[in-house]
Amino acid sequence: MMKNVIIFSIAKKEVIDNIRNKWIIIISIIFALLALLASYAGSIYSEGWQDLGTTIAIMLSLVQLLVPIIALMLGYAAVIGETERGSMSSLLSLPTTRLEIILGKFFGLGSIISLTILIGFGIAGIIISMNVSDVNYIDYLIFIGATILIGLAFLTLALFLSCLFKKRSTAMGGAIFSWFLFVVLWGLIMSGLLIASGASIEGLLSGSLPDWYYAIQLFNPISVYSSLVSLNVGPVSATQQGFPISYPSFYSSELMLLILIVWIVLFLFLAFWKFSRSDI
Amino acid sequence: MIIAKTIQCPNCKNTLVIKGIPGEKIHVTCPKCGNRGVFVFPDDENDPRIMNDYPIIEVKNLTKRYNGSKAVDNISFKINQGEIFGFLGPNGAGKTTTIKSILGLVNINAGEIKINGFDIKKHAKEAKKFVGYLPEKVAFYNNLTALQNLNFYAEMKNVPRTECKQLIEEFMLSDSLNKKLGKFSKGMTQRLGMARAILGNPSILILDEPSGGLDPRGVVLVRDKIFELKNRGATIFISSHILSEIQAVCDRVGIINKGVLVAEDTVDELSKKLNLKPKITVTLDKISDEIVEAVRKVKGVDKIEIQEKNIEIICDSKTKAKVIVAVATAGGNIINLYTQEPSLEEVFMRYTEA
Repeated sequence: MMKNVIIFSIAKKEVIDNIRNKWIIIISIIFALLALLASYAGSIYSEGWQDLGTTIAIMLSLVQLLVPIIALMLGYAAVIGETERGSMSSLLSLPTTRLEIILGKFFGLGSIISLTILIGFGIAGIIISMNVSDVNYIDYLIFIGATILIGLAFLTLALFLSCLFKKRSTAMGGAIFSWFLFVVLWGLIMSGLLIASGASIEGLLSGSLPDWYYAIQLFNPISVYSSLVSLNVGPVSATQQGFPISYPSFYSSELMLLILIVWIVLFLFLAFWKFSRSDI
Repeated sequence: MIIAKTIQCPNCKNTLVIKGIPGEKIHVTCPKCGNRGVFVFPDDENDPRIMNDYPIIEVKNLTKRYNGSKAVDNISFKINQGEIFGFLGPNGAGKTTTIKSILGLVNINAGEIKINGFDIKKHAKEAKKFVGYLPEKVAFYNNLTALQNLNFYAEMKNVPRTECKQLIEEFMLSDSLNKKLGKFSKGMTQRLGMARAILGNPSILILDEPSGGLDPRGVVLVRDKIFELKNRGATIFISSHILSEIQAVCDRVGIINKGVLVAEDTVDELSKKLNLKPKITVTLDKISDEIVEAVRKVKGVDKIEIQEKNIEIICDSKTKAKVIVAVATAGGNIINLYTQEPSLEEVFMRYTEA
């Protein structure tokens, strides 16, 4: 019982601390505006408001760029920032444990990310649904849920980096590199691997990629996220980047969900493991 | 006041030592069989079960290395209930490392640390339950106000929020109640740090350089608070390099040098061990050879020095009165008298030499 109170207190402190920063509000507004813009003006197929499914399809690549960097920026200083500033020694002198501190920070920052995504896309969803007739709420909710998961995945990665590095500045470097690796380099590396393996351009265009390609993709949470959305939201698979997608048989929503959850738990554990071995 | 009580699990007969404050109700889970029960500590201060004489902080063979070099090298000491213990040492001697080890902020390489009988590694929460801590570098959450900050710590310590406002007032920070910590001066932050340390009336107070960044009024305020807490029975551990501050408040001191504890005792005892003696300065209207000779004859006088109208006499503590009588009997007209007890400074310098 006591434990829950302590974790809740730490989580609450994180939320108040970050709301004071005001950037959560700004990011919520950016999410809402992006969704509205994507829905109203983003389509090359037709004019005017698009339905939610199409909006998701247009937004997916933008979200893949934005949500990871936001989560990384929110989390990379959570532990090392406090250690460097000096408030960590006071926090740890309280009747609490390092596990509770990591969990408190995860729940606090996780709530911020989740709420930001929920409010931003939620408002946009309501506005869009008032303007279009054919509304598929389920698809949109799956999209929001998956986006929250990818946010949490990058948050726990950021928390791990925050515990791994001994300086705030290097942790930030690590966060930026992670973003670069998963968002930018990954695609290049995968293309390189495909070319090296002798895959033909025709094959790539027709969407028939080898199974090993899809297997490696599972190690990138962003690919997992985009697969999860594609597997569940109709219009996405039809239009994504203009290529038809045919996933291998082992690709399923359950697998994608499981990978994202394992990722979150794994990095949360690694963060705790590193933190419990560090000197404050 | 902490009570220790040995209880027996009614289920598996496993015995367990539990600790708490008088009147406290705690839920106990047997570590062996998982049986749960509730225990209420006796409320009466005279209850024989209240132990007054066991070490509150126990450091045994502590060693801490940073990148291979020993910051603290195999030190052991105990701090008893109700004691003010001064921890001295030059910069970089290992004072802060020792404190951080006691609180479990760093991973120690060897040794054992107990607070209130609880191992800081195995029972971190219980060990830290009654501890108030003022770190060397006082820091808060800069985006939050003074009150929001203290409220957070109160919540974590399970202390009523009403105490926060009161403490902010006591530390002369009422005007800054709703000011963000980012806008606080160093002295204000230090005072709020002291308020945070004594939040919830901790029975153990660990202060690392409490006067750092304080103005003279702040220093007096902090000193008064230390005595107030001592009178309430708190055990206080103060690390400092300001020796006069330590000498003014501490019952016992420990001196650390290059990671090694070189001395641990009362200032008086340490002076005795070093054979440090008081110095009497007698000012006379006229100094004669007879007076000097009379003083020289007193047993226990070590050294006499004459400077104009002053005689400086270094002698045993017990000989002081005899010296004065000798001066007067020899016809000396004493204008002024000044005695100087061996200072902690001398003790400190001698122990940390080379």
